[in-house]
Amino acid sequence: MNRMRRKLLIAVAVFVLAGGYLAYSGARSSLAYYLTVSELHDRVGTVRDSDIRLGGKVAAAGVQWDQVRGSLQFIVTDGTHTVPVRYRGVVPDAFKPGADVVVEGRYDGATFAAERLFAKCPSKFEAKAGERAPSPPARPANVEEP
Amino acid sequence: MSEIGPLAIGMAFVVSLYGLAAPLLGKALKRQELVRSGSAAVYANFLLLSVASAALLQALLARDFGNAYVASYTSKDLGFWYTLSAFWAGQAGSLLFWALLLTGFTALVVWRQSVYRELMPYVIATLMGTSAFFTMLLAFVSSPFARVPFTPADGSGLNPLLQNPGMFFHPPTQYLGYVGFTIPFAFAIAAMATRRLDDEWIRATRRWTLMAWFFLSWGVIFGMQWAYVELGWGGYWAWDPVENASLMPWLTATAFLHSVMIQEKRDMLKVWNLVLIILTFALSIFGTFLTRSGVLSSVHSFALSSMGPLFFGFILLTLAVSFILLFVRLPALRSAAELDSLVSRESSFLFNNLILVGAAFSVFLGTVFPLLSEAVRGVKISVGPPFFNQVNVPIGLALLLLMGLCPLLAWRKASPRNLGRNFLIPAVITVLGAVLMVAFGLGNPIALVAFTLCVFTTATILQDFHRGAMVRQSHGEAYPLAFVRLIGRNHRRYGGYVVHIGIILLFAGMAGGAFSAEREAVLKKGESVALNQYTLRYEGVSQYPTRSAAVTAATLTVFNGGEQIAVMTPQRNFHNTHQDQPMTEVAIRSTIKEDLYIILAGLGEDGTANFRVIVNPLMMWMWIGSAVLTLGTLIAFWPERGEALRNRSRYLVEGS
Repeated sequence: MNRMRRKLLIAVAVFVLAGGYLAYSGARSSLAYYLTVSELHDRVGTVRDSDIRLGGKVAAAGVQWDQVRGSLQFIVTDGTHTVPVRYRGVVPDAFKPGADVVVEGRYDGATFAAERLFAKCPSKFEAKAGERAPSPPARPANVEEP
Repeated sequence: MSEIGPLAIGMAFVVSLYGLAAPLLGKALKRQELVRSGSAAVYANFLLLSVASAALLQALLARDFGNAYVASYTSKDLGFWYTLSAFWAGQAGSLLFWALLLTGFTALVVWRQSVYRELMPYVIATLMGTSAFFTMLLAFVSSPFARVPFTPADGSGLNPLLQNPGMFFHPPTQYLGYVGFTIPFAFAIAAMATRRLDDEWIRATRRWTLMAWFFLSWGVIFGMQWAYVELGWGGYWAWDPVENASLMPWLTATAFLHSVMIQEKRDMLKVWNLVLIILTFALSIFGTFLTRSGVLSSVHSFALSSMGPLFFGFILLTLAVSFILLFVRLPALRSAAELDSLVSRESSFLFNNLILVGAAFSVFLGTVFPLLSEAVRGVKISVGPPFFNQVNVPIGLALLLLMGLCPLLAWRKASPRNLGRNFLIPAVITVLGAVLMVAFGLGNPIALVAFTLCVFTTATILQDFHRGAMVRQSHGEAYPLAFVRLIGRNHRRYGGYVVHIGIILLFAGMAGGAFSAEREAVLKKGESVALNQYTLRYEGVSQYPTRSAAVTAATLTVFNGGEQIAVMTPQRNFHNTHQDQPMTEVAIRSTIKEDLYIILAGLGEDGTANFRVIVNPLMMWMWIGSAVLTLGTLIAFWPERGEALRNRSRYLVEGS
């Protein structure tokens, strides 16, 4: 029975190691810095030309969308800093000024070249009673909700 | 009138606390009437939350825009069904929905399963403790009955992205699944508390587990369907944290569903089963939280969401209580048997468990990686879809292989002769299938492996059916009748196999993704684009209003070779209540072979349109597989004659 145990342990160990290796190699090929706009500004030197996911809001001004050619330029902001973004591809419906966006791509110090663009509606604004009359009332919550 | 809802919720919170404390106190003080009052609290709780839910539904249907929740999620022009779905479309409402389901299930348990007398006080305490958490959130943090100071003339309407049948059904099914697993979890806690650590708690909750698993599966499927049809990027799964949150408990639950069979049959893996159900419960709560706040999808930190710390605290508390209890009971949880051989059905279940839990762990790791790396290295680093795919594709293939091997292996120890006999025919069929696929030019190695394994697994399952039917036939039954009666004899086994066939079809549909083709085209009216065998001619654009939206539809005539096969109209619509947000409605033409999927990505002033055309092979098989999975679950769920009687008498005798 002890031999059985050992065999089982070895089999399990092989499994775990194989899984660990897969995870490690998978992670290595898809690691990306996950930054806010300000963090990107602070780290330009170290993150230049690495994969970056950048999160922020679409600035009110500066959206240029050529629908026919499918090219989109806009500015991402976190309130303090801004980064211009260039993107080509299908633009998600939730994209609009003020929307939360995540872009994936690279930053050369001047423009963020995005390969993928995710957007969600601004998080639901929950007014405290009496604080402000939401009129029109609060925006619906983000679309990722079930 | 508007006071009824908050009042009912406040009372439900108090009653839940009572239901948590009374059975425990009653047990400690040996006061039977106190223990029994727990059941009354359960019914009262269900009644109160029903009243609160009715009040919310009433407010929604009456379009009471003085209610902040109603004003945020409905509008005058929203149809009846989507107004109904607003009940679970937002945070506060969905929490109420959770609590309602939980107390409903609890009432059902108390009503129907009171034979488990010893366990019941602890079951009630666990469930009411969970209910106390959710009613607390509803009463103090996120109320669906908050009022606005000035009643607006119209609500801001349900986000058009949520106005889709997939989104109508996805939250309820997902929640039925999440909440369903609270029941086996509560029985597990009760089993540990009472030291009744045999498989009683497992048998008592088998149907709950199956039901919860089924709804969780459909929650994931509806979510995929919604993403495919509504999000309009051509795929159905993006390893988004919210998607991952629904997948993780499904993976551990699937492991649990399998490993409990080992405990029932061989009295092994007791600790493991407890761990699995605890994890499944914790992941269900985690999933509820993630879908509610989407906390990981934004770069903002955990603490920014007001509910984050509360959920986090609740999860930690349940994990701590559960694992301390488990640790204390460890000496009583020794397995009665040991594994006899690595080549046996038990070990195939064991490895299936290892794989599923490994998958869940990898998904968890990938999902929370940004938080982890920030804690460890001070910088947020995320892992993308390649990580998830690289880990989970091999895991999926290994799972498929195990699914095929399982029916070939005997319990305890498979003898080489036996194995060879079982192996021969499926192996021949598999090799033939693989050769055919290569001959027909299937070049992608991963897809080839996937399809080959699909053939192998289908073959071994069908062989098992065939053998069973042959045995019955030799006793004088006609073959088709024998086939049907065979399933009737052992619902769990054959229902399980049917579920496996559904999963194989799902896998085949996913593997088809390896051959998807995509093309972007900027077309003027009258111009055409070709993709694979299809030619699409752009006929122009038309605009017209509907009741709730302004529709812009591009018309494309689709040719297969020279033959016209369809007219498709991808759209970009603007809903009246969300005029700043276009709604891209993709056009999909599904056949058994493949989906033709057209996105109207952009439209110029002069009618020049930007299309993205995608061919997704075998997509329909995912939906067919889902239907087969449903059939299999129903078979497994269907009571067998005598089973209920057996169980009941067994525990009645023990309990008295």
